Amino acid sequence: MLERYWAITVSLFPFLWKGFIETLYISLVAIVVGSLIGFFIGVVRSQRVPVLNGLFGLYIHTLRGTPFLVQLYLFYFVLPNSGISWLSWDSITAAFVALSVYTSSYVAEIVKAAIEAVPRGQSEAATALGMTRLERLWYVVLPQALKLTVPPMSGVYVMIIKSTAILSVIGISELTRQGEISILRFPRDVLFIYGLIAAMYFVYCYPVLRFARWAERRVGAARIVDLD
Amino acid sequence: MNWLLDFYNYRIVAQYLDRFAAGLGNTLTAAGISLVLSIIFGTFIAVALLSDRQALYRPIAAYVAFIRATPLLVQIYLVYYGLPALLPIAKSWSDMYFGIAALVLNSAPYMGEIIRAGIESVPRGQIEGAKAVGMTFNERLRHIVLPQAFANTLPPLIGQTAVLIKDTSLLSIITVFEFTSAGILLNSERVRPNESFITIALGYLAIYVVILLLARMVKQRLAGPAWNAQG
Repeated sequence: MLERYWAITVSLFPFLWKGFIETLYISLVAIVVGSLIGFFIGVVRSQRVPVLNGLFGLYIHTLRGTPFLVQLYLFYFVLPNSGISWLSWDSITAAFVALSVYTSSYVAEIVKAAIEAVPRGQSEAATALGMTRLERLWYVVLPQALKLTVPPMSGVYVMIIKSTAILSVIGISELTRQGEISILRFPRDVLFIYGLIAAMYFVYCYPVLRFARWAERRVGAARIVDLD
Repeated sequence: MNWLLDFYNYRIVAQYLDRFAAGLGNTLTAAGISLVLSIIFGTFIAVALLSDRQALYRPIAAYVAFIRATPLLVQIYLVYYGLPALLPIAKSWSDMYFGIAALVLNSAPYMGEIIRAGIESVPRGQIEGAKAVGMTFNERLRHIVLPQAFANTLPPLIGQTAVLIKDTSLLSIITVFEFTSAGILLNSERVRPNESFITIALGYLAIYVVILLLARMVKQRLAGPAWNAQG
């Protein structure tokens, strides 16, 4: 029995490893791109710019109010159907865009909450020194706010890594999809193969979770997002 | 009006209204049952995580770590293919039962974490004070601990409920006919992605808005010393 499982593991591993690398790659790109977009939106939202504030609020609530699976279908089926030529992208682009946009909505809320968590006195003191709004933000508020974002941000990153599994639905050959294909080769060992996949996700996500908990202890657990 | 019919033909949606309604019903049923069961199961997890007994704490902590570090989709597959092997009764289950089982197993640790934080948020001094004025255990629980724990727990619990409802969309992959499946059905029969998926997105958004308003209402009603103390 054990030998059999070992044989399956050995013969499938290179294949699953390829999927794992793809998962790693997609999640890292989405995290970087999504964080940049989200950071920008969060900073703008914290400044309460009249029209932009409402628009970005709508963007964030739309993304948080719908399941990622549905968003993926929107990016994969609906946008290419719109007739605009640059939106008729393939599945991998749709996956990257959907995941980055999804990441940005969570990052934006964290950044905004962190900026608002920096004591007002800091900003007021900077004003008293004659700093402009941008200088206050760049030299005083943001450096302090960034530290606060680390624990919740790591939590969101784990969520994003786990969301890449959903990309298997549109045929991206990431870890879950590679597993589904492997099952065609070993149809009797469905459970074992999914267990193997789960273990590979665990190896990726668990250190990030541990880091989040460690950072929470260092920075202080500010539960700054309550509806997510 | 032609451009509107081109972009979003509401007449097609109207034809499929009964399918969407059935899907929405199943989504809300799955989410509702999972919510109740995962709060019950989550309370046990919270108690186990607060326990000093290693034999109780360790397995539950390992289970929580596993759930938090693996994707829900993989967990759904594990339950779907694994449960019939573990539980002979499960062989006759419908897909819906497997879906609910997976959702409960997935969301209970998150609920447990919220409940644990809620219990821990009641300062020890409160309990000691209640003891000092001669309250029994039940009185302390009823008048001192639970009201404060509840006030601290309810808002994040509502947030987790919103997550749970969104997670039900993944049940469409194991062929449970829920809200997303209704859209997929429309798209596969009529090849009209706009009508299929924009409708679903709007439906989920409507549920989200209801929950958001509920959360705001609860926050306002609970805004007392217990809530404000949290900062």
